[in-house]
Amino acid sequence: MEVLLGITGADFTIVAASKAAMRGATILKSSDNKTRDLNKHTLMAYSGEAGDTVQFAEFIQANVQLYSMRNETHLSPSAVASFVRGELAESLRSRKPYMVNLLLGGVDPITEKPSLYWCDYLAALSKVPYAAHGYAQYYCLSILDKHHHPDINFEQGMKILRMCSDELRRRLPIDFKGLIVKVVTKDGIREEEFVDDKMITSA
Amino acid sequence: MGSIFQGAPIPEGPGYSFRETPAVRQAPGPSSAAGERQHGFYPYTDNGGSTLGISGADFAILAGDTRSTSGYNINTRYAPKLYKIGGDAPDTPPIALSVVGFAADGAALAERLDTIVKMYRYQHGKPMGVAACAQRLSHLLYMKRFFPFYVAAILAGLDESGRGALYSYDPVGSYEREQCRAGGAAASLIMPFLDNQVNFKNQNVPGSGQGHALEPRKPYDLPRGTVEELVQDAFTSAVERHIEVGDGLQMMIITRDGIEEVYRDLKKD
Amino acid sequence: MDALVAQYSRPAFADEAAVSDDQLELAQSMPPLSLKFALPPVAQPSSWLRSMTDDYSNPNCPIKIAHGTTTLAFRFQGGIIVATDSRATAGNWIASQTVKKVIEINKCLLGTMAGGAADCQYWLAYLGMQCRLHELRHKRRISVAAASKILANLVYSYKGMGLSMGTMCAGVTPQEGPALYYIDSDGTRLAGNLFCVGSGQTFAYGVLDAEYRYDLTDQEALELGSRSILAATHRDAFSGGFINLYHVKEDGWVKHGFNDTNPIFWRTKLEKGEFSNVTADIE
Repeated sequence: MEVLLGITGADFTIVAASKAAMRGATILKSSDNKTRDLNKHTLMAYSGEAGDTVQFAEFIQANVQLYSMRNETHLSPSAVASFVRGELAESLRSRKPYMVNLLLGGVDPITEKPSLYWCDYLAALSKVPYAAHGYAQYYCLSILDKHHHPDINFEQGMKILRMCSDELRRRLPIDFKGLIVKVVTKDGIREEEFVDDKMITSA
Repeated sequence: MGSIFQGAPIPEGPGYSFRETPAVRQAPGPSSAAGERQHGFYPYTDNGGSTLGISGADFAILAGDTRSTSGYNINTRYAPKLYKIGGDAPDTPPIALSVVGFAADGAALAERLDTIVKMYRYQHGKPMGVAACAQRLSHLLYMKRFFPFYVAAILAGLDESGRGALYSYDPVGSYEREQCRAGGAAASLIMPFLDNQVNFKNQNVPGSGQGHALEPRKPYDLPRGTVEELVQDAFTSAVERHIEVGDGLQMMIITRDGIEEVYRDLKKD
Repeated sequence: MDALVAQYSRPAFADEAAVSDDQLELAQSMPPLSLKFALPPVAQPSSWLRSMTDDYSNPNCPIKIAHGTTTLAFRFQGGIIVATDSRATAGNWIASQTVKKVIEINKCLLGTMAGGAADCQYWLAYLGMQCRLHELRHKRRISVAAASKILANLVYSYKGMGLSMGTMCAGVTPQEGPALYYIDSDGTRLAGNLFCVGSGQTFAYGVLDAEYRYDLTDQEALELGSRSILAATHRDAFSGGFINLYHVKEDGWVKHGFNDTNPIFWRTKLEKGEFSNVTADIE
């Protein structure tokens, strides 16, 4: 019941991930960070098989950073997405594949266009205006279908994210311990404070 | 006795009529006899074939091919799937039933419905209307909800205002009045054709606009000649692409004057 | 001794008592009120039935029963909105795009249909009959609470036999006002303000929860109901066809159309700019 959400707007990409680290029927940690910054303006959120997730994310992070150091330039979000897909696809055909679902959010430093990539553990990659992984898909995609527009500003983006978070808190049977929210703009990546201590009651 | 079974097909082979029998799962070891056998009871077989019905302003047509198959064998080239319901007394409103799937269940169902409609007449001194007959058929199917008839049924007749009435059923009795319906093996081949040619689905009025402003073509009551041609075309096409359909086309045309039966040949390969 | 002989020397056809009973029943043209269902001659009828009809656990099952749905109903200041899609599927085959999933039990009571189409159709018709009998016996209309309980008790008595239904009963009575109940084939019966049922339920919940308020106007409520079904038909492959919309008011229900989803979708996208994930241009 891990939650990953992503929303793009006019000049930003929001990526959110649930804070609960679950193992069986236990929540081991309620402040888990399921995101990694890949470079100055590309961010990855992940869910899936325990162990695989962090290993894969940090492997990608290290390689993207290595590229930046060697070439004194950053990979664009679309280049990162293609690289990640390639690595995941290669791993899928190995003896022990990574079972990791990903969202890649970024803002292209040259064009300043935001982008979001959805990638599942089978390395199916697609560029989308908004995305979700896991059970969040079932509840949030219809909300995003209705309320998302490509040219929304950051406040509107956060408002839609809150609608999604409220719906998940209302309908998911397990507490996912809130969301870590990260935002990518042309100035880089920052973490956005996201308070959701309001009581949610269903109708 | 032995000579009769001389040419018996190999069990589980392609010609065996009960080839769809689920494999008996046997656990290894001595416990296998204890209770690992599952679902040895399989009282169905699929006799293939296809049916279709279309209703019009003052008539309804039911049609079915006459091939009967089991597995890849053809049992016979003439096994009708269409049944007249309620006898043919002069003032009886004409009702016809088509059943496709397991022929034995189909025959049993038709027989039961026929009895009911006849008994209704004896007891009430008036014939049963097609809407009542349709609901009764639904109940007949549902009475075997836990041991279903393996059939797809279509009932056709004329409603109280004289319009063509067509009702289609799933195996356990959910039903709906429709303009047209195909059932059986080639339903997936015929139904899209009917959607397009009878209800004009995905057809637009040419020149009525651009892109999304194009107006959809409105369906109207097709004349009998057109419908008969559609039925013929649907079946000749299905015969070309489905192995379980062929041999003969039986049609029942239900009008105010009764049920007219037509038989036409289909390809026999 | 004679009695003993008589007991064991019945002619063979006497064993067909069950069959002649059947025939007697058929001869009586009225359907029997006693609910006698034929059962397969096996030790576990329910697991046998599942192996024959459950296309989820066995995609190659011989008998495919129509399934798959989105239905919703919610209470608000102006009464109850009931909305459904109209698709019936048997496996991957779309069996029908024009199913009426709102069943008009009587002038003031509606039932919705999710799960087995035949189960819902048959038992809601049966419920309609019971409601009418109640009316005749007690000289007043049955309450929604009582009607829903008849259905809940009924399906509970068949628990484990393989019935599959998720239904909502919506109605208005002078005693209760607008009342909404959810009943499913497990035997669950819940009163509530808002329910979505079927394979597309989560998508409908998403849109509905986000903008639901009790003080919605009639127009807003109808629009929200219809938009929630549209959301589900867009994301759930087992839902689609037409949007069937009803409004239950104090003096009975009103039908608000049976409209094709496709033009509604394009109107919503092009006029309101929603569904921005649907795009025709390739980058």
